Amino acid sequence: MSKGVNGVRRLRLCLMAAGALGFAAVFTLAVLGLQPFGGDVHPYGDRAVRASLLRGTPNTVSSVNFDQRALDTLGEELILVASALAVVVLLRMVRREEEDEPGRHRYGPADVFEALRVTGYALLPVTVLVGVYVVAHGQLSPGGGFQGGVVLGTAVHVLYLTGDYRALDRIRPVPLFEGGEAVAAAAFVVLALAFAGLIIPMNAVVGVEVGCAFILVLAKFFEQALLVRETG
Amino acid sequence: MLSAVELALAVPFVTAMVLAAAGRWLPRVVVDAVAMAAALTVIGLLGVVLWRAVRHGTVVVWLGGWGPHGGISNGIPLVADPFAAGLALVVAVLTVAALMFSWRYFTEVQAIFHVLMLMFLGAMCAFALTGDVFDAFVFFELMSTVAYVLTGYRAEEARTVHGALNFGVVNSIGAYLTLTGIALMYGRTGELGFAAIGERVRAAGEPDAGLLVAFTLLCTGFLVKAAAVPFHFWLADAHAVAPTPVCVLFSGIMVELGVYAVARAHWTILGGTADAVLAGFGAVTMLLGGVMCVLQPHIKRLLAYSTISHVGLLLTCVALMRADALTGAAFYLLGHAGVKSALFIGAGMLLNRFQTVDETELHGRARGMRVTSCLFLLGGLGLAGLPPGGMWLGKVLAERAAEPYGWWWFTVLGLLAAGLTGGAVLRVWLRVFHGAGAAPTRHPVEHEDAETAEPTPRKPLPMLVPGVLLLGGGLLTVVLPASAVAGGAEVFTTGYTEAVLYGEASVAPAGRPPSPWTFSGVASGLAGIVAALAVAALGVWGGRLPQPARLGTVLRGLHSGHVGDYIAWVLAGIALFAVLTVVTR
Repeated sequence: MSKGVNGVRRLRLCLMAAGALGFAAVFTLAVLGLQPFGGDVHPYGDRAVRASLLRGTPNTVSSVNFDQRALDTLGEELILVASALAVVVLLRMVRREEEDEPGRHRYGPADVFEALRVTGYALLPVTVLVGVYVVAHGQLSPGGGFQGGVVLGTAVHVLYLTGDYRALDRIRPVPLFEGGEAVAAAAFVVLALAFAGLIIPMNAVVGVEVGCAFILVLAKFFEQALLVRETG
Repeated sequence: MLSAVELALAVPFVTAMVLAAAGRWLPRVVVDAVAMAAALTVIGLLGVVLWRAVRHGTVVVWLGGWGPHGGISNGIPLVADPFAAGLALVVAVLTVAALMFSWRYFTEVQAIFHVLMLMFLGAMCAFALTGDVFDAFVFFELMSTVAYVLTGYRAEEARTVHGALNFGVVNSIGAYLTLTGIALMYGRTGELGFAAIGERVRAAGEPDAGLLVAFTLLCTGFLVKAAAVPFHFWLADAHAVAPTPVCVLFSGIMVELGVYAVARAHWTILGGTADAVLAGFGAVTMLLGGVMCVLQPHIKRLLAYSTISHVGLLLTCVALMRADALTGAAFYLLGHAGVKSALFIGAGMLLNRFQTVDETELHGRARGMRVTSCLFLLGGLGLAGLPPGGMWLGKVLAERAAEPYGWWWFTVLGLLAAGLTGGAVLRVWLRVFHGAGAAPTRHPVEHEDAETAEPTPRKPLPMLVPGVLLLGGGLLTVVLPASAVAGGAEVFTTGYTEAVLYGEASVAPAGRPPSPWTFSGVASGLAGIVAALAVAALGVWGGRLPQPARLGTVLRGLHSGHVGDYIAWVLAGIALFAVLTVVTR
């Protein structure tokens, strides 16, 4: 039996190796004809800068994301929504499983230093503030809804690092964030299709959506890791 | 004010988000009704768009007002030519059928099933309508992500997770290769729009080897989605475990959208000259899909492999790179969407009644299910090419288009595909609904969970009605105005660039395609049916004939379910495709 399995593995590796070699050859062929690295030919970039200045948007990246190619951003937003929904669906409670009350546990790194705990509580408002700043200044400086949203989404999880899972559970009621994510995504669909170019509101909506989605996904992972048990 | 094309994207996405936000508190019937209303609205909107595209030429909408100046633009166009709008319309129709089938099911997780179905609808419409390569990739990813979740929806079973995981891994690899192809294409042309890339390629003269490699990589993700051999392994694994209404959308249109994207890229970027390499892949796909189909006792897997075979035929039609072959492909696709969806609904009826779709398990047990029995009989005949079904009409037109190239094997393989896939379904019909052949001696297989929370009533109308309507549609595709379809094919093959970049949408003058009601046309359909009957009879009563057992074992061994095997095949396949494409041009 093991001989057969080894044979199959060897065949698979041979096929893989042949494919990889062929791929490497054709890929090299394709790369050889490209513009040299660091050259000054950037057709799309040049046009994008011109176009963003034409509409008075100082940040070209924002102009591309939320105006010139807003439909791409819409699709990417919805991919994030779909992924968050995927986590909710696929990690849902199924038969053979049961969930503990979060209140019965004091999960998290149990024995944290007092210093870490105090720092964690102190960092929470600061991190939220940084998140809001990154979202709000997206039209001028590097940053914007996606980046700021990730900062916001991770901010509340500083509480987990302080060892206080119950506090984390209290400040992020899951239905609220599910609703927030969906409403923000709906608003973005309307903005992207009908009002492309309104950079500030679009950044804000994306920030809310991304922040909610991250909190939702992490909440489900926490539940799965900490509270759900197989009942056999 | 948004145009109808934009609204057709906005309506499903916004409705999905509203249901995601409020689904927790809405009663089930409201969720059903809202989702259904949204899908019906999309049908209405796309109907208007299609009408306009057929009557007045391709509808082009540049989002955010970023229209081109002198043929150059930085924005993204939505391009609704008759084919794109028609495909989006098929998506919407099948979504309505799927929602109808699931009218009272999938109650578990708030309204998330409905949210996902509407997002799937929107993503597929956007994929069909976009005129930008990178945007096509984004919506390809969106529709894939949603499809993975829908496949794994019944996550309590290990094999469901396995099927969804294989689907996810293989499709993601394809998507990365497509993204690589897009990057290489941009590196060579400086453009991201289908039409704009094509203009630059033509301006540079004959495409060089590097560009051809970029093109093949660009197509990889689409070929994975289209389940062309050897990129097809995920399809049967996914179909076997996905809920029935999801299978309807997968087989009916999602897989075909992969072929559509290959066709779109081929015509706009390479200009559409007959592609023997693509035809070769299509031919192998037709044959392998048909053979694997006959070897399956699991009805959903059987139907999944038959889809692979039929997609192989569509791919070969595209490879002919002729408008008249595309007319045939369009009819074939429409007929297939109707018939195959109806067959999946039939399989879903069996699953809900008996908690299994294993042919040997079901032997003779479904005698009382008259309507489902009819679905299988007519469905099997439809796949085999029953005149006047869409699959017959499409195949006859495509055979005529292949004649000038001397591709006689197309007719042979088409007959084999029709006979094998139709025969497999007819065999199921004989054994399951009539108890024909020897009673099974195999050990009972493990049961699957029903998709419904409670057993369905004897005649669950909301489940049967869409099946009957789709079957009727698939078998009566012939009533569609043939000249409009031929015109759509003409517009698809010429005039795309003019319409998108220069706003010169035209209605291509196309006569009616030749009538299929000739002696050879009808004979082609009848030959398929005879072949199918022979395959079915052999399957039921031919137990004593020497079986090509070794071949079956080898083929089944290749379809191992091991995702590592699948990826090795994808890599080998893309290397082969690229090398052959470069060498033969």
